[in-house]
Amino acid sequence: MPSPSYLPPAPLAPRHIGRLNGRGLWTLYVKEVRRFLNVATQTLLAPMVTTLLFLAVFTLALGGQRMAAGGVDYAAFLAPGLMVMAMMQNSFANTSSSIVIAKVQGNIVDVLMPPLSAFELTTGIVGGGVTRGLLVGIAVWLGQLPFVGLHIHAPLAILFYAVMTVLMLSLLGLLGGIWSEKFDHMAAVTNFVITPLSFLSGTFYSLDRLPPNLQIIAHANPFFYMIDGVRYGFLGHADASLWVGAAVLLGVNGGLFLLAWTLIGRGWHLKA
Amino acid sequence: MPQVRQFGRVNGRGLYTLVLRGLRRHLGLWLDSMAGPAVSNLLYLVVLVLARDVALGPIWPDATGRGLDAASFVAPGLVAFAFCHAAFESMAVHLVHDKQEGMIQDLLSAPLTAAETLAGWVLGAVAAGLASGSVVLLAFLPFVDWPVLDPLPLVVFALLGTLIFALLGVLVGLWARKWDHYAAAETFLMLPLGLLSGTFFLRQDLPPLGRDLLFANPVFHIIDGFRSGLLGRSDGDPLFSVVLLVVLSLVLALVAWRLLLRGWHLKP
Repeated sequence: MPSPSYLPPAPLAPRHIGRLNGRGLWTLYVKEVRRFLNVATQTLLAPMVTTLLFLAVFTLALGGQRMAAGGVDYAAFLAPGLMVMAMMQNSFANTSSSIVIAKVQGNIVDVLMPPLSAFELTTGIVGGGVTRGLLVGIAVWLGQLPFVGLHIHAPLAILFYAVMTVLMLSLLGLLGGIWSEKFDHMAAVTNFVITPLSFLSGTFYSLDRLPPNLQIIAHANPFFYMIDGVRYGFLGHADASLWVGAAVLLGVNGGLFLLAWTLIGRGWHLKA
Repeated sequence: MPQVRQFGRVNGRGLYTLVLRGLRRHLGLWLDSMAGPAVSNLLYLVVLVLARDVALGPIWPDATGRGLDAASFVAPGLVAFAFCHAAFESMAVHLVHDKQEGMIQDLLSAPLTAAETLAGWVLGAVAAGLASGSVVLLAFLPFVDWPVLDPLPLVVFALLGTLIFALLGVLVGLWARKWDHYAAAETFLMLPLGLLSGTFFLRQDLPPLGRDLLFANPVFHIIDGFRSGLLGRSDGDPLFSVVLLVVLSLVLALVAWRLLLRGWHLKP
């Protein structure tokens, strides 16, 4: 008598997918999250160390001054901005590197072949970047706690602007990754677009330092509203209107999501 | 009938080829390796100038209260580290890349001694560092107001800085088995060396322990040398810095040569 384990398996029934491929989306998301958790030293610890070094150096160099607006000392002004900058860079790095590496190595087909719609692909990949950005934000905040006396003024504002930040940078990373054919292209986008926008966003200085015409340009930088919003959440003082910031961020994020969704749907720079 | 090429005690053409390869690889990626550092260093400069309250006054004021503005004070340090970092990055990235892709075999089987290989690598990276660093220096010129422009200390410290960091690049490149290891070296070695080097703050503003630690950071001496060349004044004695940096490069070269001779992390 053969034991039951020798019996042929029952034929597999096709899995039925409703309007949303929930399991597929979840699998893609988990893959994106595991990708960065595998190298947590590089993806979570490194941003924390970098931020603390920046905090130390800039506080040493400029610690004597108090900020005119809000009346806080320089370290307290700087810390929320550095936190947002770290979140920006890491969300962007997560989605962009995921796509570019998959394209260069050719395993992008494994993402394009499964029964996942363009919407599900966009959501799953962006979800990974959002998760990394938020985890980096928490890591940086915890790292800064012993050094900067930051109390939370408006937790919901922090949450809203933080989510908007990592969402926008994840979408930008996705778009940059789709556009890039090589690692060099990605490095160029990081060097010449993302780094300037994040450095010139008001992390290190209050925008009233700028001459009036430059202030107008600075207000057109969506990255400014992210930093301003999160800083309001900690310090209770914002440079610009919070509602304008929320509207700008929601508008830009909605537009970027639609763009990414459309481009992935058409297979632009992804399918031959 | 082709002749067997003869070479004497030193394989000159092999060495020259290796140097040229390192430099060409660096220049080929000019957007990333030359324009990138220029842009990011200019950003550091802009941000620092905007962030510094004018009420803090000039740096190193003389009896009349005239001193340096923030940009002119910070720029020599940024330039100095740009030289060092480019040499390190060029060396380590190319070595890790060769190891990852298996191309290192082509080099190990070439008729080059360990000393020639090391010299070829390091000279290529020094040339790469000098190229990228000079671009940063030129990019800064329109924005800063340096009282002097003394070529001798600039050349000496640029050479020593790129040499030391090219050698560090060899050590990190040999050690790293994966890209993650290289990234860890960037975050946990290069970034602290570069940021905690006295580029942004004065040694006198530190607590006593910080001053001693700063003195132990070779980047501080390289930066200080650049200051003597661009600002006409320095925190320490440039001659002492030169001696220290020469000794350090000799030690690093010796270690790198011994490791290369043993094939550490290169040969099974």
